[in-house]
Amino acid sequence: MMAEFLLSLRLKTISCMATREKYDEAQVIEQLHNQATCKSAFGKVIEHYSSQLYWQIRRMVIDHDDANDVLQNTFLKAWTNIDNFRGDAKLSTWLYKIAINESITFVNKKKVMNQLSLDDDESFLVNQLESDEWFDGDQAQINLQRAIASLPEKQRLVFNLRYYDEMKYDEMSEILGTSEGALKASYHHAVKKIEQFLGENG
Amino acid sequence: MKHEDSTILNKYGKDPGFKVPDNYFADFNKKMADMLPDVEITPVDAKPTMWQRVKPLVYMAAMFAGVWCMMSVFSHFTSSGNLDSVRAVAEKLNDDKSNVEDFIMSGSVSDYDILNYEDSVMLSNEQDDSSDNHQ
Repeated sequence: MMAEFLLSLRLKTISCMATREKYDEAQVIEQLHNQATCKSAFGKVIEHYSSQLYWQIRRMVIDHDDANDVLQNTFLKAWTNIDNFRGDAKLSTWLYKIAINESITFVNKKKVMNQLSLDDDESFLVNQLESDEWFDGDQAQINLQRAIASLPEKQRLVFNLRYYDEMKYDEMSEILGTSEGALKASYHHAVKKIEQFLGENG
Repeated sequence: MKHEDSTILNKYGKDPGFKVPDNYFADFNKKMADMLPDVEITPVDAKPTMWQRVKPLVYMAAMFAGVWCMMSVFSHFTSSGNLDSVRAVAEKLNDDKSNVEDFIMSGSVSDYDILNYEDSVMLSNEQDDSSDNHQ
């Protein structure tokens, strides 16, 4: 009985692996520049990158529905500009750039809607976190998010990419267009400021 | 080695507490793929059209033709101006021909002629003096 169950499980796994194609970026980029295959290729891009881009956007905009909207806009913008993508940079770098720009634009629009100055920090985004249906963190996590939101925009981005995504500095440098040295300095300052914030408010 | 963010990491971890609805990514991927509008893709390795191939040559030929036209127009104006000035100089030279000839003639008078001329002047003066004395 047990052996049969394990055998069926193994067969299911094998069939699942067979149906789910392996993601080959070079091949996908080639398909993206072919009118006949571009749409299905972009479907693969969405499948491969939606999760990592979502979490990056979510950490920027905090709210799930907002992150969902920004993620949609990111893919739409990438799709409508796909003809301009010639594979000079990595697809992930290009998508991250679009996602970050879309997130910043969204947060700035939200600031204007909340009658805040563009120079104000993003603490207002964390205020509704306690009542958020899609947040199950404790007060400590809310405090950490508040500390991260108090950082200047660039330091906030660098901290999120490094701390949560463990992104390498050279890759981050390509996305943000800043030198690795400056990014390391930004991360160092961000960590110090967060520690100080949590020391005072934690 | 102690990382600079180890204090935060030890206390707060890497889970920010965000979550998503069940099957969110599978649903999103499907919905997103379905809502993609049609776009025009330019094939990377598309063969260039005849016009695309000859365009640089046509542009270069047009540029040379333009330069040639400019040069010919410029030389037309400058050459007619030169003729006018040459004609004016020639007329002026004709007017001053006698002066020039005089100048050329003065160059051909030798020292011997000058001495003969002085002697003749002296002789005539002496003759005048002697006739005065006789009177």
